[in-house]
Amino acid sequence: MFLTRSEYDRGVNTFSPEGRLFQVEYAIEAIKLGSTTVGVRTPEGVVLGVEKRVQSPLLESASIEKIMEIDTHLGCAMSGLTADARTMIDHARVTAQNHSFTYNEQIKVESATQAVCDLALRFGESVHEEEAMMSRPFGVALLIAGIDELGPQLFHTDPSGTFMRYEAKAIGSGSEAAQSELQDKWHKQMTLREAEILTLRVLKQVMEEKLDHHNVQLAQVTPGKGFEILDEVKLKELVDDM
Amino acid sequence: MNPMNTASHPQQRQFNPYTENGGTILAIAGLDFSVIAGDTRQSEGYNIQTRYAPKVFRLTDRAVLAVNGFAADGNMFVKKVKQRLEWYRHAHAKDMPLHAIARLIQTMLYARRFFPYYVYNILGGIEDDGSGAVYSFDPVGSYERETCRAAGAAQSLVQPFLDNQIYFKNQQPALGTSHPAHLPLPQVLRLVIDSFTGATERHIEVGDGLEMFVVLAKGHDLAGLEGIAGLQEMSTKSDGERIFVIRRELKKD
Amino acid sequence: MDHFPGNWGRLRNDDYDAYGTFPIPHRPSNAPKDTFSEGVQRTQQPIVTGTSVLAIKFKDGILMAADNLASYGSLARFKDVQRLRPVGDYTVIGAGGDMSDFQYIQSLLDDLVVEEFTSQDGHNLGPKEIHEYLSQVMYGRRTKINPLWNSILVGGLKDGQRFLAYVDLLGTTYSADTLATGYGAYIAQPLLRRAVEGRADTLTEEEAAKILEDCMRVLFYRDARSLNKYQIATITASGVSISDSKALETSWEFAEGIRGYGAQTQ
Repeated sequence: MFLTRSEYDRGVNTFSPEGRLFQVEYAIEAIKLGSTTVGVRTPEGVVLGVEKRVQSPLLESASIEKIMEIDTHLGCAMSGLTADARTMIDHARVTAQNHSFTYNEQIKVESATQAVCDLALRFGESVHEEEAMMSRPFGVALLIAGIDELGPQLFHTDPSGTFMRYEAKAIGSGSEAAQSELQDKWHKQMTLREAEILTLRVLKQVMEEKLDHHNVQLAQVTPGKGFEILDEVKLKELVDDM
Repeated sequence: MNPMNTASHPQQRQFNPYTENGGTILAIAGLDFSVIAGDTRQSEGYNIQTRYAPKVFRLTDRAVLAVNGFAADGNMFVKKVKQRLEWYRHAHAKDMPLHAIARLIQTMLYARRFFPYYVYNILGGIEDDGSGAVYSFDPVGSYERETCRAAGAAQSLVQPFLDNQIYFKNQQPALGTSHPAHLPLPQVLRLVIDSFTGATERHIEVGDGLEMFVVLAKGHDLAGLEGIAGLQEMSTKSDGERIFVIRRELKKD
Repeated sequence: MDHFPGNWGRLRNDDYDAYGTFPIPHRPSNAPKDTFSEGVQRTQQPIVTGTSVLAIKFKDGILMAADNLASYGSLARFKDVQRLRPVGDYTVIGAGGDMSDFQYIQSLLDDLVVEEFTSQDGHNLGPKEIHEYLSQVMYGRRTKINPLWNSILVGGLKDGQRFLAYVDLLGTTYSADTLATGYGAYIAQPLLRRAVEGRADTLTEEEAAKILEDCMRVLFYRDARSLNKYQIATITASGVSISDSKALETSWEFAEGIRGYGAQTQ
C-alpha cells in the first residue's frame, strides 16, 4: 500500500485524490504495533484484557497501565500509543462527571464513547490565536466497556473517530488471530467467568511470552460492582483455572 | 437632611428588572400518577393583564413543569429547559428522565445565582420506576422531591389545605386505622379543584381559568378520567406514560 | 485541555481564562471591548413619551388606536407623531413609552423585514413572528439592565388567524381579545372588556371602531398626557391600513354643572 505514497501524506488534513487521509490511515496502522487488547461482552457484564509486554526483567510490570477507569460504570482498555489515550480518557472522565453533575444520572456508554471520538479529528493547523490543537491524529485505539440502562456494552474507537459496538473485539498486534478466535468461541449466553477465561485464552494464544498473572491485566464491568481491575489473587486463580 | 430640599439632590433611580405576575400553581404525586395544575390569570398589581396565560407546560411524555412568579423569566426559563431537553434527546437518543430534568433545572437556576430567574418551579411526572413524583424548587435552584407542593400568590392559602388533606396533618386516624400514603386520582382531582376555587375566592390574583395536567404511569388505566369535561390528551404515544389536560373555568372577578 | 465542545474552534479569551481551566461551561467572550463603557449611560427613565395604545379583536381582524401626542414631561411637545406603524404585510405595532426607543425599534424591524424579503425563501413575517422577535429584543435588553422603555401592542392577521399581543420593557408578554397600555390599562380596558369579551367573533368593523373611539374620548377626558387627535389601524384579510389623524368630538358643557372644585363664587 505504501507504493502510492505521494505528497498527499504530508498535510495531516489533506485528502489524497483517491479521497484518503493518509495520516489517519497511518495512525490506524500504528495500532497494529501495540500490544494485544481484548474485550468480551456477556449478559452478566463486560471483560477487558490486555497483554503487558515486560521488555526487561528490571521493569516493574505493575507500572504498566493499559486499563483505566472512566467512571464507576465505565472502563477502557487501549492499544497503540498509550500516552495519547491519557488525553482521551481525561476528556471522557470530565464528560462523565459533568453529566452526572448536571443530570444526576450516569452517562450512557455510547455517549461517553461519542465524547471521546469527538476529539479524534481535532488535529491540524490551528488558526492564529485559536486554542492550540493537536499536531497529528491519535495513535491509539480504545475498547470502552460499560453498563447503562441498555445493559452491558462494548465499544471500539479508532483514530478516525469512528466507533462501533461489538460483542467481542480484539485490537493490537495479535488482533487478527485473536479476533477469529473470539468469533469461534464467543456465544450469546456466555457467563462472566467464561468470558474471563476466553479473554485469557485468546491472549495466551497470541502472546510470545508464557502468560502469567504478571504479564496480563484483566478488568470487568458488572451491574453489581461496576468497573474493577482484577487483583493479582483473582487473576492468578483464573490463570491457574484456564 | 432637610426634607423640603430633597428635590435639589440628584436622585438615583434604578431600573427594576423584575415584576410579579400573580397566579398560583400546585402539584400532587400519586402512587403511579401525578397532577400538576395552575390558574391562567396573569396580573400586575391590580391589573388583570390577561385571563389566559398558561403557566403549566408539557416537557416530555412523562414530565410537566409549572412556573410561577415573573412571567417573562418564566417563559424564557421554560423555553431554555425545552431547548436543553431537545439537545439531550439528540445527544443521548432518549427522553430525559424526570430526576434528570429536576437536576438540570437546579443547575440552570443556580447558574443565574447572582441574577436569578424570579420564578418558582414545580416539576411533576413519572419516575423511571413508574412512581408519581413532584419536585419543587426555589428561584436559585434548591430542590426537593415531595408528595405535594403549592407555590405562588396563594401558596399560603393552599399549602396548609394540602398539608391537612394529603399529609393528614392535625388529623387523628380513626381507632384501628391509618392514613393512606397516597390518594386515588379522582380524590386528588377534587382536592386540586377545591384548592383553586378556594384560592380564587380569597385571593385577588387567582382566577379566570384552571389547567390541570394529569400524568399517568405506563399501563395505568384511565380510572376516573373517562368522561371528564374538558379533557384533552397531550401524549405523543399511547403505549407509554400518558398526559392529559383538563381545563376548567374559575371565577373572573 | 478544554472539555467543553461548545468552545472548540473558537478564539480563546486570555483575559477571561488564560489556561483553559474554567470549571463551568462559560463560553469565552470575544465581543469587541468598549473603551468608554464606564461613561455610557443606560436609559433610567423615558424622556419624550407617548401614552396609551388600545387594540381589540373583531370579526374580520384587529383594530388598534393611539393618539398623536409625544409629551416631554407634562409639556405637550410633539402633536403630530405617528405611534402606530405597519411592519411587513400583516402586522401593525403601536407603542407607548419612550418615543426615541420606539423609533429605534422601528429601525430594527425595518432591517428585519428587509432581510427577510431579500432572502426570498418563501417565509413571510407574520404578527406572531414579529411579536416573538420583539419579545426577545425587549427581554434581552432588560436582562442587560438597559431596557427599551416601551409598552408595545402587536396586532395582525395572517393565514386567517387573528393575533393580538403585548410586550413591554421587562419582556412581559400576554395576549387577549382586548389590550390597552399605559393609562388605558386602567381607564379603557374595563370598557373594552365590557364591550368586546365574548363578542370578538361577531363584532363588525364599524362597531369595533365605535368602541375604540369612545374609549379614546374617555381617555382624552381623563388622561392629562393625551390628545384629541388620534389614528386607527385596521388589519384585515385585505391588508393593513392606518387612517389619517382624526379629531375627537368632545363636549365640555358638563363642566358648567360641576360644583366643589376650584374658585367659585357660589
